[in-house]
Parts: sequence; structure tokens; C-alpha cells
Amino acid sequence: MSAVAAMSTPTPALVFDAVSHWYGDVVAVNDVSCTVDAGITGLLGPNGAGKSTLLQLAAGLIAPSAGTVLVYGERPVEHPRVYDRVALVPEREALPAMLSARAFVEARATLLGLRDPRGAAQRALAEVEMDTVADRRVGGFSKGMRQRTKLAAALVHEPTLVLLDEPFNGLDPRQRVHMMRLLEARAAAGTAVLLSSHILEEIQGVASNILVMLSGRLAASGDYRTLRRLMTDRPHTVRVRSHDDRRLASALIQLEAVQGVELERGGLMVRASDYTAFARALARVAQAQAITLYEVEPTDESLEHVFAYLVAR
Amino acid sequence: MSVPTVSHTPTVRGRVSWLATARVLIQLAWARTFSPVLLLAISALVLLPMLFALAFASRGSLSGDPVVFLIQRYDTLVGALATPLIALLLGTSAFSAEAEDGTLLYLVTTTTPRWWIACVRVVFASVGTGLLSAVAVWGTGALAAGGHDPLGVTRAFTVAVFFGGAAYAALFTALALLTRRALVGGLVYILIWEGVLSATFPALHYLSVRQWMLAVAASLTEATDARFNVGPSLTASLISAALLLVLAVYVGGRQLQRPRISRIGT
Repeated sequence: MSAVAAMSTPTPALVFDAVSHWYGDVVAVNDVSCTVDAGITGLLGPNGAGKSTLLQLAAGLIAPSAGTVLVYGERPVEHPRVYDRVALVPEREALPAMLSARAFVEARATLLGLRDPRGAAQRALAEVEMDTVADRRVGGFSKGMRQRTKLAAALVHEPTLVLLDEPFNGLDPRQRVHMMRLLEARAAAGTAVLLSSHILEEIQGVASNILVMLSGRLAASGDYRTLRRLMTDRPHTVRVRSHDDRRLASALIQLEAVQGVELERGGLMVRASDYTAFARALARVAQAQAITLYEVEPTDESLEHVFAYLVAR
Repeated sequence: MSVPTVSHTPTVRGRVSWLATARVLIQLAWARTFSPVLLLAISALVLLPMLFALAFASRGSLSGDPVVFLIQRYDTLVGALATPLIALLLGTSAFSAEAEDGTLLYLVTTTTPRWWIACVRVVFASVGTGLLSAVAVWGTGALAAGGHDPLGVTRAFTVAVFFGGAAYAALFTALALLTRRALVGGLVYILIWEGVLSATFPALHYLSVRQWMLAVAASLTEATDARFNVGPSLTASLISAALLLVLAVYVGGRQLQRPRISRIGT
């Protein structure tokens, strides 16, 4: 029975089990446990949150200081053969400048032991729309072209786990959409994709599951809707300017969604317990009181505020 | 915009080809190593002993015995200076540059065995150092002895610089994977250890690549010189160099298991 159960449960692509990693006194990753499987998983967090370190741990480039990282059931540091199925696309743009994109991708294909490196490189370059410029030296490439060359080098052996560090940096909107569709197509074909970003909007369209990191810790995880709701429903502070701030303040303080109102020079600072409800009510109140609104601006919309809230809740 | 399609042509994985991977690793090393500045530095090192030979030849018979001159210059200018410095440049530049800009990960995130990556890079630096040092030896010998090879001294040192070049290259290739300051560390080694300490203290001769080179040269020439009599034996030199090569490949391979890559992010 147990053997049947074991057979029916495929090994997860990537497992972090109580993983920590520190550089000297600096804790980069702190007690992270999660699983990444087929589909696209977004790794979200501000710069310095530990996202790149987590990807390096997954790729076996560094060993965890504590805990266990398993790629298809094996520790990647000890078993380089996992690179048969794993690829990492780093954020850094550096590539061997003197090589052409084709030579670079073919070199990777050869080092990965592919039977037909030339054919595999051609397919990967065509997949990222780099086949027409593949014979140019990468030293003269734009940021977007480098990004796509790196992606071709990563996809050349058709890995089943792809780790991408800030893959949308430097891409124009058209290239960004193309890469998103490419990753979606890979994920639909059964590939596990873990991509990091510090911009929620960047990954909200592609990632079915999102891991939020802050200060090395896994602050939250779930699908986009869950996280968006957590982020939207938290208490907000909103700056409002109108042509009659005093009258607006007295009307707003009576709303259930408003916790407090401060009258400041040149506007109001409103503390709302429910941002969505407040936003709807504000428009109604302004219309009913015939007050003209000049400005409505959330003051704590930065990702750092959002992440800090997720950690503290 | 076209909708991207996932390739349906299955990627056929074979066994890693030693020859094909070696070619790629050398191609990548070549691309990362040779810059105009490096070529200029290597050219200067190769030409330096030849300039001395030119000065020697210009004085005709007043210059004295070419064998004595050649042994001195081969030891001090080639064996102790040109060969180790060329090995340092060729051994450290590729791995150091790759570790610094993070492109080393494109080598280590493959199924090619790490010891093989280290081994090929050692061979690349060894052959390059040997060939360039041999040019310095041949050129110096030809200029100083008028195209002759008195007592087979040039032939002996040609073999010796290939041998010493391999030992130096192995040492410096491993150093490039061990430390961020491989170039400085290598320079200190060449100037302090090989230049001063091993020449001053006879007990250190057994740990000096320069002395190993002299032992090899001494066994292949009929010429005699005081410096041939103080170093380790040929057998001890060959065993020491072989151990150094194996150790360098082992350490290099181990180091590539957890490579020193500065950052993958910006």
C-alpha cells in the first residue's frame, strides 16, 4: 500500500525544509520552509530580502547553513547531476563578451552533455526570438538581448525546474509579455518555474503561487488573490486634499471604515481600517457634501510597508 | 506578437564528451584570457631574455662562454620570472574573471564533472605557458649562440620550461579558485618564495618549482653549473610536480563544488 502511495506521489521539484543561510554575522535566509512544484511560483520581496540567496541555495551554488534543500529528492550541492533537470538564470547580465550568442548557448549545451548541441542551441535561441541575431557577439547586446540569451542558455536542455532571478529586468513591454507567455507555456508543459521579483505587478499575471520574503524570512505565501486581499485589507493611511478639508473631516469620521482623521496643513490624513470600503465611501461622501476632491493618495503603498505589514500581522 | 511555443523536439542527452567539453572549456578560457593588455605583458616577458641575448651577441667573443650566459639567463629570467608570470596570467585570468562577474555559474551548473573543468583549465594554462616559455628559450638560445645549441642547453631548458610551466600553471589555477586575490598572492609567491626564500634556504629547494626545473634541465644537458648541484634530484622533482598537479586538480574540483561566485543578483 505504501509502495503504491509512494509511486502515486511524485517527488516535488524543490523543497526547502527549515533552511537558513548566513554570511558571517548576516542572516540572509532565516528558517524558510516551502515546496515548489510544477507551475509558476513567484518569489516576491524587496531588494535584500534574501531572494537571490534562496535561488542560489536551490541551484546548489551554496550549501545551507542549517536545514535541507532537496531538488527532486537530492541535495543539489552534493549531486551535480541534478543540473540535467535544473537551470538557473541569474540577474547579473555578465556573459562572455567575445562569444556570439550561438557559441555561448552551444557551449552550455555541450557542457550539459546534449547529443546535438547545435540543434538544441538553435531551438532555444528561436524560442526566445534571438535566432536572427545569434551570430553577433554578446558584448554588443542590449540588456534585454542579454536577458534572452541567458534564458536560451538556461532552456537549452529543457530543464524541468527553472530558477529565474529578476528575469523581467531590462525587458521592454513586448519582450516582457513574450517572456511571460514563454514561461506560462513551459509551466503548462509541466515545468516548475520559480521566479523572483521585487515588483508584485510583474509576477501577479503569471505566478499561480507567490512566496513573499522579507529580511530573510518567508513572510507569506499563497495565490495572488489571497496576497492581494491581505495587502488591500490592511489598515491604510491616506492623504486627502479637498476644497473644504474641515467639512470633509467631520463627514469622514462618521464612517465605519475610518479609524481616525487628522487635519494637517494642506489636507487630511485619514487612517482607514478597510481601504476598499473607505475608497467607495469617500466618493459618496464627497458627492453628498458637494466637496471637490483635489488629491487622494495612499502614503504607505510602498512594498516595504506592505511586506512589513505581512510580517507583523 | 507570436505566441511562444515550447519545443517538442526532445533534447537527447548523451554522455558528457571529454573532448567536446575540453574544447568548449578552452574556448571559454581563451575568450576570457586574451586581452590586448595581457598580450602586451606576455610579449614583454617573452622578449626580455631575448633582449639580454641580443646584447650578449652584439659583443661577439668579448661576451664570454654562451653556455654560462644561457644557463644564467634561463634560470633567472625564464625559469624564475617569465615562466611563473606567464603561468600566473594564464592560470588565474579566466577563473578569476568568471568568479568576479558570476559567469562561473554557467560552467558549474552543468553535468560536466568539476574536476574535469579544473583539469582542462590546468592543461590550457600549462600548454600556453610551456609554448610561450619555449619561444623565450629558443629565441634567447638562437640569438646568444648564433643558431647553435651548445651542449644541448637550449633543448634541456625547453623541456624544463614545459615541465615547470605545468607545475606553476597548476598552482596558480588552483589559487584562482581559492582566493579573490590570486594575482597578488601569485606575485608574492613568485617574488618572495621563488625569488628570495627558496634561493636563500637550501631546505626549501624541495618546495621550489624553479629548483625542480633546474633538476630537469640538468638531467638533459652535458653542461655543468654550480646551480645544478644544489637542488633536489630529478626523481624528487618529478614526484613533487606530479603531486602538485594532482593536488591542484583535486582542490580545484572541490572548490568548484561550492564556487566563489560573488553574487548572482546585482
